[in-house]
This record gives sequence, structure tokens and C-alpha cells, in this order.
Amino acid sequence: MNLDFQQFIPSLPYILKGIGVTLQIVSLAGILGFVLGIVLSFFKISRFKFLGWIADAYTSVFRGTPLVLQLMLIYYGSPQLIGYKIDPSTAAVLSFGLNSAAYISEIIRAGILAVDKGQSEAAMALGVPYRPAMMDIILPQAMKNILPALMNEFITLTKESAIVTVIGVTDVMRRAYIVGGEKFSYFEPILIAGLIYYIMVMILTLLGKGIERRMRRSD
Amino acid sequence: MIKVENLHKSFGKLEVLKGISTSIKDGEVVAIIGPSGSGKSTFLRCINLLEAPTDGRILINGQDITDKSTNIMKVRQNVGMVFQHFHLFPHKTVLQNLTYAPVKVNGISKQEAEKIGLELLEKVGLSAKAHEYPNRLSGGQKQRVAIARALAMQPDVMLFDEPTSALDPEMVKEVLEVMKALAHTGMTMAIVTHEMGFAREVADRVLFLDGGVLVEDAAPKEFFSNPASDRARDFLQKML
Repeated sequence: MNLDFQQFIPSLPYILKGIGVTLQIVSLAGILGFVLGIVLSFFKISRFKFLGWIADAYTSVFRGTPLVLQLMLIYYGSPQLIGYKIDPSTAAVLSFGLNSAAYISEIIRAGILAVDKGQSEAAMALGVPYRPAMMDIILPQAMKNILPALMNEFITLTKESAIVTVIGVTDVMRRAYIVGGEKFSYFEPILIAGLIYYIMVMILTLLGKGIERRMRRSD
Repeated sequence: MIKVENLHKSFGKLEVLKGISTSIKDGEVVAIIGPSGSGKSTFLRCINLLEAPTDGRILINGQDITDKSTNIMKVRQNVGMVFQHFHLFPHKTVLQNLTYAPVKVNGISKQEAEKIGLELLEKVGLSAKAHEYPNRLSGGQKQRVAIARALAMQPDVMLFDEPTSALDPEMVKEVLEVMKALAHTGMTMAIVTHEMGFAREVADRVLFLDGGVLVEDAAPKEFFSNPASDRARDFLQKML
């Protein structure tokens, strides 16, 4: 095996620039997925069966089809759906956000249901209305329990974001691929991309552990 | 003043309360006893509508709380409840447990709520634990905090749902002492309990429930020394 990283050193800044692109897509999609996930999870535990039905159907569709297909549907379908072509990174944020909302809503729903029923009863008995009881009493406890699962989802999102390559977003993966094409050698740049993804995931993991420690103060 | 008229409660096909009528006067301490499954807890939980009655009426200070137009949240602010398993908020400190609802619901300032909270903690003997999290407390301490939390809303009535049943025996007394002191302040109290000694000593009246029916309603002396029904006699023989 002859590896020659030397020749890729000039291209390194170009590949590293992709980190910003990846992070931007992942963080925006993460926020979209989290907010929409909370809304969907409220639908799922709602008294109104119709809302639950909508959220279940949503989850079923987004979990039941490949992410890369959703990405391509949104990107290539946009001219027919809304009349003009959206740019690739918008399509990426939308598809990743909508997709992870499906998973996150399931995580949060399970987290809310796992909080002892006595907690909401205690809040009710004190005359606390549903919304503040949910926001101040139930959700904080649910969040603590689901943090590892939520972190897992964000890690998956970071790694899976590499598929934006197929619609031409110049993220880390795409840039590594382009550099490989220029030098007729793909192995080294893709190894470099792999290392970059691994480091990003490690940082996320540490971040998650830090937050978890903070939240476990009351134990 | 609480007035209960012909209260029925069913869970599906299971009828738990079969028409209970009674009243609790202001300042009265009522012990509710009976075998498990007799509907004691359900009866208590109906009084602050944690369970919605299937039929009948409940009036608190003349207001029909089973009426659709009644604001349940307003009613609950005046009716404190203490649970068997405490249900303290684990992610809040002891003091935050006491101040959360008064600030959020009654809209009093944080300083005012903390002042009231600290006074109450002193009354239940837990001033030193104000800034601890509930997980650091013993069962008896947790229940005393739960009582203080309910009192922080300055309710007119306090409901106790088997407040000592989940406690180790050596911690029962400290909780009963707090309840006894509260009774002496003239608080209206309804207590579901298996502590017969406490019921005899502190209660003004004993309600004996069996099979969803109010079988006896008597002064403790009378009830414990000379129960009118066979069912009560059976029950007491097993308990004492």
C-alpha cells in the first residue's frame, strides 16, 4: 500500500473549508428537526386523535423512505412543487430537518411518557395549567432522560449529511471527492474526510457528555 | 366547607364509588379509612378533580366544582394535596419546589414566595435543606417538604392520600407530628390513612368506606370503641 499524503497538503485548506458548510447544514437542520420534533411529539400525546394521526403518518413516511430519496425529491422536485429551483444547501437543510423531526418526535414522545404520572398530578394539584406544567415540570425531566438518544440523533445527522454530495453541495465529502478527481487518487482525500467526520462526532459526543453531567446535578 | 352529594365514579365498567354523600365543615379534620379497594383514594381525588366524577355534585364553599363552567385550576389552588409517593419535582431544589406554583400561578414575587417558603420549611423543621435537591432527602423529609409545598399555595383545604404509607416505620412519626400541628392551626383536612392511632387521636370524624359505599360516619371515639356495622368491626379487628 503506497499512500502519498504529501501531494494533498495544498488541497487541505480547500477540504477543511467544507467543515463550515457541513456544520451550517447540520446545525440548521438540527434546530429545525428539534423544534418540529417537539411539536410532533405534542401532537402524538394530544387528546385530539386527529393530531396524533397526522404526526404518526408523518413519522411513518419519513422513516419509511431513504433519506437520500427525500433529499432528491425536495431538490429536484422544487421546480414542480413551488415553481423555482431552491439551492442545494436549502434542500439539504429542509430534508435533513424534516427527516430528523420524525425520529426526534419519537424520542421526545417516549421521554415525556416515561416521566412519572405523579409529576403532572402534583402540578395539577397545585393549580398549574397544562402548558407551564409541561414546559417547567415534565419536559425538563424528559429531556434529561432522552439526552443520550438525542445526541445520537445529532451524531447520525452529522455523518449522514455527507449524502448532500449527490446534489452537489460542496461539503467535506464533496470536496474530498473533487480533490481526489483532480489528482486521480481518491483514497487519501477520503481518508482525510473520514478523519474530519470522526473528529466532529467526537466533539459532539464530548459536548453531550458535558450537558448530561450538568443536567444530572439534581441526582 | 365541602359538600359531597351522591358522588359516583366508574372506571369503565368498574364502579368504584356508589353514591357517597357527606360534608366536611371548615376546620374539621376527617379521617377516611377502609380496606384497600374501598374507594378511599378515589373519593379524595374527586375532591380536587384529579378524577372526574361520573355523577353527583361536589361543592366547595358553595361552588359546584363539577359544573362545566367552573375553572378547575382556580379550585385546585385552594385545595392542597399530599400524595403517598410525595411527587416532589426532582429537578428543582426544595425551596424551588415550594416557590414554583405560588410564583407561576398566584403571580406573587419570587422574594415574597421565598420568604413564605422559608417560613414553611422552618415549620416542618427543614430550613437547613432549602437548597438541597429532593433526592438527598429521606422519605419522611420528602413528605414534609411535600406538605410545605402544598401549604405554600395557602389553601383552605388539605387532602392527604395515605401520606405515611410509603415511609419506613421510623419516619412515620415525624410526618404525623407535622400533620397534627397543622390540624391544631384549624386547617380543614381530609386524610386517607391506615394509621388508626393517628385517626383516633387527631380526627374529628371518621368516614369508613367499604365497596364504594360510605358505611359509617362517626366520631373517632364511638367508631373505634363501638363500630355500628359488622364490616367496620371486621376491619378494625384486622387492623388493631
